[in-house]
Amino acid sequence: MKNRTIVIHATPEDHQIAKLTALAIGLHMIEAIIPSPLPGVKPGIANIVTLYVLYQYGFKTAAWVSLLRVFASSLLLGQFLSPTFMLSISGALLSLSVLFIAKHLPSQYFSVISLSIIAAFAHIAGQLIVVRFWLIPHTGILYLIPIFCLAALIFGLINGLITAKLFSQK
Amino acid sequence: MRLLSLLAICLLFTSCTKPEPIHNTQSYVFGTLVDITIYGEPEAEAQELAAEIIRDFQELHNRLHAWRASEIKSLNYAFKRGNLPVTIEPDVAAMISDATALSIQSKGAFNPAIGQLIHYWGFQNDEFKPIKIDDLSIKKLLSNNPQMVDIVIQNGKASSRNRHVQLDLGGYAKGYALDNALQTLRKHGVRNALINIGGNIIALGKHGENPWRVGIQHPRKPSAIATIELDSGWAIGTSGDYQRYFMLKGKRYCHIINPATGYPTSGIQAVTVLIPPQTNAGTLSDVASKPIFIAKPNQRAKVAQEMGVENFIVIEADDKIFISAEMTKRIKWTDGATAKYVTQIQP
Amino acid sequence: MAPLQSMLRKFSLNLKKSLFNQHPKPLMGDWLIILIGAISVFVMFQQFWVTAPATKFKIRQGNQIIGIFDLNQTRELHIKGAVGESTISIQNGQVRFKQSPCSNQYCVHQGWLTRAGQVAICLPNQISLQLMGAKSAYDSLNY
Repeated sequence: MKNRTIVIHATPEDHQIAKLTALAIGLHMIEAIIPSPLPGVKPGIANIVTLYVLYQYGFKTAAWVSLLRVFASSLLLGQFLSPTFMLSISGALLSLSVLFIAKHLPSQYFSVISLSIIAAFAHIAGQLIVVRFWLIPHTGILYLIPIFCLAALIFGLINGLITAKLFSQK
Repeated sequence: MRLLSLLAICLLFTSCTKPEPIHNTQSYVFGTLVDITIYGEPEAEAQELAAEIIRDFQELHNRLHAWRASEIKSLNYAFKRGNLPVTIEPDVAAMISDATALSIQSKGAFNPAIGQLIHYWGFQNDEFKPIKIDDLSIKKLLSNNPQMVDIVIQNGKASSRNRHVQLDLGGYAKGYALDNALQTLRKHGVRNALINIGGNIIALGKHGENPWRVGIQHPRKPSAIATIELDSGWAIGTSGDYQRYFMLKGKRYCHIINPATGYPTSGIQAVTVLIPPQTNAGTLSDVASKPIFIAKPNQRAKVAQEMGVENFIVIEADDKIFISAEMTKRIKWTDGATAKYVTQIQP
Repeated sequence: MAPLQSMLRKFSLNLKKSLFNQHPKPLMGDWLIILIGAISVFVMFQQFWVTAPATKFKIRQGNQIIGIFDLNQTRELHIKGAVGESTISIQNGQVRFKQSPCSNQYCVHQGWLTRAGQVAICLPNQISLQLMGAKSAYDSLNY
């Protein structure tokens, strides 16, 4: 048998994605360790990276970073295909689809802060859909929706402000 | 899985209830559910008093029963035979006089003399089955024209000028019983209570710091469509097509029969009336909704005014909701979306 | 893990700097989004917190309390009433009359009950279900 070397040509863009994804995974990990005051309510700081990438490299890269982050983090945390992973992926998918549309909002009026809040709401909506119809088809979940949405508003705003500050840094 | 634990925590919190000085008794009287809540009295006394009220209800029910041996049944028998005046109890005489006055006030829309029609439609029964509807029989029963004013009460004796008068106080007795129960409670020094007879409710005092709050049943869903605060002495009653009815060929026949046509009222789901404190608030909460329920849609506000009802809600068959201006101030819809079906009507 | 650590350090330094140096100003549209978000959260609190979902329910037969049962179970209960045996089904935090010996079957048609304060009654069989919770929206039901 002949030895064959498979050479994968990584484009600079691939490197960029890898780096940013690594960063997002790091943030995801930190968040997984930090005990949350209310279980289920998380600040979602990894989304800062998604938003940052969206503005710097465009939607395609942001989608890559976001989805890779979800997959890799769940593998690292041993949660792949677990309910936690399903929550993450559904939140990320809905959040991305909404961002794809929201990116077209006129930028002279809507900054990254808007997008952050919108994405946070979409994220929680995606998670709640999975929870309601798959994980806990219990009517009690309706009671928690307002709490989650309030958290989405607050953390969406904070993450948005942080991202905006990152840009103003430049 | 964090969501699960959060859920568990929340459920834990909601299940921890503070003990309240509240007593609740339920029983089945008047062919319906009676629910008595007494607040702020020692448990033993509250329990005894509730039991006494239930006994009173049972006694009243037995005396007024329209299709089992009772004072009313005997009276109806005497009316039918065209007998000489028969002696009746003073409270029954008072009830008949009061019901007659209300019947006149409603221009006959409230008519407890149509026992024959109610019997024909099968609503003088513990359970209702579809009947064979014969238009001719109904026409005949209608032409008998039984009216409350046909009844003559003199020197404690009653007779009827019309042999076809058959009393059925089904639309009166529950409200009357509410007024009696309120008197009993007051007599015993109870300051806070809520009495519910088959959905007709009267309030006394408050529920602790807050007024009593009652839910108004959605006519087609197993939940409340709205809630309302019931201040002391106020009573609420609903006439609906959803509590006693039968279905025949996909059509709903409810127990509220229009005395003018002889047929069950259709085209409407519910009428709720709210009655301010007065000696017969309970009675009015039972009686006053019926003429509004039976009236033509464009006549409802006028009929309400004639019955002296300022607070009312109408839910038509097409789910459209009409509400009086006064009632708007008090009602709280449980679902924000309900508001888009609501129209305010001026009397 | 070393490059990741250094990157994280850089990122957090950047973050610190950015947080304490300059203030990004939300634009007009941002304020609009914040406002819409706040309103919708407010509305949702109003919508979902009018009544708490019930956690338990009470079954009564005649004047007797048969018992208080947890809604968080899947179970069927058979209760003997005035005219026969009613079947009550509990599932996913909700409860309903599943079968009843009464002729009108109003109780069965009531369907699932979920919220504190909701009531289903079978008059012929004299069985009632009443949902309980810490925060019932009302004390009694007008029907």
